[in-house]
Amino acid sequence: MAALSVLFAFGIVAGEATDRWFFGGALVGALLIAYSVIILLLRKMGVVGPRKSER
Amino acid sequence: MNDPKVVGFVCDWSVALAPLLDGTRLRELPSVRVIPVPCSGFVRPDWLEDALTRGADGVFVLGCPYGDCLNREGNYLMRDRVDQLRRRLQRRRIDPARIHDRTAFLAEVRAFLDRLRALAAAAPKAPTKMPAPAAAEGEAR
Amino acid sequence: MSVTAPPPRSPYGRLMTGVLRGTIKLDVVINRIYPSDFNPLYYTGGLANLFLFVLVVSGIFLFFYYEASLIGAFASVQYLTERVPYGGIVRGIHRYAADGFIVAVLLHVFRNWFTDRYLFARDNPWISGMFLLVFGGFVGFTGYQLVWDERAQALTAMFLAMLRTLPGGAWLARVFIGGSGISDATIVRALYLHIGPASALYILLWWHYTRLRHPKIWPPAVWVLFCVGLVFLLAGVIPALSGRPATPAAQPTAFPLDIFFLWPFWLMNWLGAAGIVVLLGVLTAAGFAIPYLGWRERPQEMDVRHAGVAQVIDGNCTGCELCYYDCPYNAIVMVPSPAPGFSRAAANRTLLAVVVESRCVECGICIGACPFEALELPKFLERDVRARVLEAVQA
Repeated sequence: MAALSVLFAFGIVAGEATDRWFFGGALVGALLIAYSVIILLLRKMGVVGPRKSER
Repeated sequence: MNDPKVVGFVCDWSVALAPLLDGTRLRELPSVRVIPVPCSGFVRPDWLEDALTRGADGVFVLGCPYGDCLNREGNYLMRDRVDQLRRRLQRRRIDPARIHDRTAFLAEVRAFLDRLRALAAAAPKAPTKMPAPAAAEGEAR
Repeated sequence: MSVTAPPPRSPYGRLMTGVLRGTIKLDVVINRIYPSDFNPLYYTGGLANLFLFVLVVSGIFLFFYYEASLIGAFASVQYLTERVPYGGIVRGIHRYAADGFIVAVLLHVFRNWFTDRYLFARDNPWISGMFLLVFGGFVGFTGYQLVWDERAQALTAMFLAMLRTLPGGAWLARVFIGGSGISDATIVRALYLHIGPASALYILLWWHYTRLRHPKIWPPAVWVLFCVGLVFLLAGVIPALSGRPATPAAQPTAFPLDIFFLWPFWLMNWLGAAGIVVLLGVLTAAGFAIPYLGWRERPQEMDVRHAGVAQVIDGNCTGCELCYYDCPYNAIVMVPSPAPGFSRAAANRTLLAVVVESRCVECGICIGACPFEALELPKFLERDVRARVLEAVQA
């Protein structure tokens, strides 16, 4: 959960792309990677995942 | 029952069987007999049912890890067919826990044998229990 | 039976078995981190497709701004990188997605090679895949040419040297640069040689997918997000930039090389143009030959896994289509049943299953699917299986 909130911080800063295009682009990338980690963690926690019969 | 008599269908791609076998029995667990097949999807539920009604205490099917079937979908198809077989067998009072389909090997087979022993020791109409998922540890060829 | 001691393997077989063990051990490690249906190594083809898609989308954006002339090429790319909002990011994405594409394709090649996934009828997707690799590599090279900086100029000269070592080399060289010398036509030709083969990639992909049921075209969402994020991140952190503009007098001696696409040119420092042509020819030929010459096990070692292509028992087939749905290689087709047939089942059906033997990989999944015992593997019949079951329970 702590990881989630740190990753959200990325999101806030990513919105802050004030004409520094490379910086903004890099942060978009970081945010997407953060999302992928979030989904992975959710999957490990069992929140998302295959149907019950397929576990 | 000390050593449950078990018949296993093992995908020949997923496990290197030659060093583990003594004839058709597992060296480490001699009450387990293994039939190699070309894919876990080759196994017909009929054969599993046959083995159970003719005197095996348990049957299992083992294959490649889900997502890595050498023939792409065989293990998923096997899982679906075995699930259907389990449902059918429930009506005939054959405990579905006597069938095991997973994608790992020796440790799982041992665990399966333990569960079978527990089943036999409990009351005859013990409630069914699906095998718990285990980490996929394919033993490499 | 593979339950008895197999005959000793050839040295190549032992080497490849060791490699296979290593590959599976890597899987075991990764499967501890990721659930096994998320393991990226099971989706290497999908990853390649994802990167290709990113390349196409970013490429369309770049194409919009590109000007195909000697001066215009460099200038338009500079304009895009420096003056268009996020233009430099898109350029970087294009560049890093290309690297990602080649990495994913190579992972795909090596994984499918090391895990025996080219046997029997799977030589067909292997061949189409090899074409994809070669075309992809070429498209990447022409992409570097389009920027028309000093690196591009040097690469063009080196590639011309390679072409000239071939028979008909002078003609090939003229085709490649669109004339007898470097001119605006060269850039136009390079643009064609970039976009044309890139479109051909999708035709090759159709060939690559067409014999598979449910091909894994896209990786799981986790990996889509991760890979797209990665190319954005790299594009921002390490911007893709041009070198100095190409001029006829320039004699560049050193420039940064993208190792994934431009390794033949790096090796040219030591091997010379003819040597590189020979090396590439040998590697390509070896790659195409793997399904025919590169089997890890000899056929007699494969026992139940090489039990013959599936055969339909006409008398038992009811036309239920279960085998047709389950075959992972689209090797079973349903045809109208010829009347009147051999049996009751034949008289009552409308469809008959037929195995397309050139597509069958002898896996036996259709036997597992059929409730009517209407399919058999010739060297591992159902009665053989039942006999083994009987023997197993009676002991």
